[in-house]
Amino acid sequence: MRITRIVAAFLRAAVLKETAYRAELVGNLFRSLTGIVVAIGGLAVVFSHTSDLSGWKLEQAMVLMGVYYLVQGIVQTALSPSLNEVVQEVRKGTFDYVLLKPVPSLLLSSTRRFVVWHVADVILGGTVIAVGLIRLEAQITVPMAAVFVAVMIGAVAIVFSIWLALTTLVFWFVRVENITMIFQLFFDTGRYPVEIYPFWLRQLLTFVFPVAFITTVPAQTITGREPLVAIWLAPLVGALALLAAARFWRIGLSRYTSASS
Amino acid sequence: MIVRRTTLAGALALTRAEIADMFQYRTQLFIYALWSVIGPIVYLAVWGSIAGDGDVGGLRQSDFAAYYLTFMLVTQLTVAIEIYTFGPMIQQGELSPHLLRPMNPVWVAAARNISYKSVSMLLMIPLWFGFVFILRPEFSVTVGSVALFVAALMLAALLSFLVGTTFALLAFWTTRSYSFWEIWVWLTFLLGGQVAPVELLPGFVQNLATALPMRYTLGFPIEVLLNRLDAGQLALGFALQILWLAAAALTVRAVWRAGIRQYSAVGA
Repeated sequence: MRITRIVAAFLRAAVLKETAYRAELVGNLFRSLTGIVVAIGGLAVVFSHTSDLSGWKLEQAMVLMGVYYLVQGIVQTALSPSLNEVVQEVRKGTFDYVLLKPVPSLLLSSTRRFVVWHVADVILGGTVIAVGLIRLEAQITVPMAAVFVAVMIGAVAIVFSIWLALTTLVFWFVRVENITMIFQLFFDTGRYPVEIYPFWLRQLLTFVFPVAFITTVPAQTITGREPLVAIWLAPLVGALALLAAARFWRIGLSRYTSASS
Repeated sequence: MIVRRTTLAGALALTRAEIADMFQYRTQLFIYALWSVIGPIVYLAVWGSIAGDGDVGGLRQSDFAAYYLTFMLVTQLTVAIEIYTFGPMIQQGELSPHLLRPMNPVWVAAARNISYKSVSMLLMIPLWFGFVFILRPEFSVTVGSVALFVAALMLAALLSFLVGTTFALLAFWTTRSYSFWEIWVWLTFLLGGQVAPVELLPGFVQNLATALPMRYTLGFPIEVLLNRLDAGQLALGFALQILWLAAAALTVRAVWRAGIRQYSAVGA
């Protein structure tokens, strides 16, 4: 298919570019590893004072931390590099060249760049999830794993939608380089289960800025905890968020006037 | 360090100019301020939920609220931004014109640091009072602890600035100075009083945190304000803070001298 061929070409170019800077690659991998070790260290400190964090055991919280890094890795590998470029291009007016290509602008804008080494976060996150599950001696059945994958896809769809919606604001405000910091700000609350937050913040993180669906719900699914919200909601929220964000993108796009006009 | 009067006047003029400049970036500064406010909320929620109606190592929910609310202000006032302001100056050769001036360019970094903090504080204070209203902390402070807090805070900000400058100066040699800085930030997260007040760290780690400099850039002033330390711990804390400050000052000096000797601007 044409679209997969295009994305594959972008991916190949990204891998080639990365292999040119091998020392950098090793440094970055070391950084990813340190980041996760520090995060687990933080969990260890917290659980040295309790064995139960709002109903979560250490191993379950580890799985959640793993989910956080997995999603974070996906964002930084595949989502943020392309969308950050959109922000730059709209400001400079070079976004014209994206519109001139015979490919849907949204596809091109969201798959052009990959920062391949961030895959390390995905792998490390997966490892942390696995270690947590083994220490839990969890019985993972095939249907459970399938639900987990579906919920994770929903989570990534939500993240992509939020990021895309924030990026789309560029068509109105032009200077929004920092707006993605707002995403990271809320996303950081997802390092811990949403149950720990006070009522008002929990509502905010479930319904307005659905971080709960990104880390807490997937971790609940796979560790067999009583779900916070009906799990089938997660892929549904993801699909709805995608539709809304794509619609918003089209509205924003119609306002694009290039740089000099 | 002897500071000449002309240098001082220059530094004041620089700071005034930087403050005016800083006002251009209100939205950006507001987002950074928001960051300082929301970040601690995560750990306040963690400890608050563990404490429940009881306590964790003698700290009740209202104590954690006081700790992390103070943390919001202290982190914003002690944050080192030199890796973003001074590092790029060296990397991109913008340092050269500053070298022609009759004062050390580190003053430019200092002026920018002070102006960043003054302007972003203006934006942060209303937010902060909002959180005080929501979280209802219990500040058990005394006149003495406030006075000592101010001293510890100033020393912490200075120490943090010197450490930040040292990491920024690594740009003389490497393009990866940011990665080294990140490791420092992570250590501060663990040992400086962010993930937990230092008194809650497990035994061995707590001793490590007491000895290493990270706590003296962040957690120590908070503990001083909230009367969490006895006289002996206070004296030891201040002694170590001043010791690390002296060490950092000497390091900055040495690193600057070594770096400037082999500096060549882009294109040179």
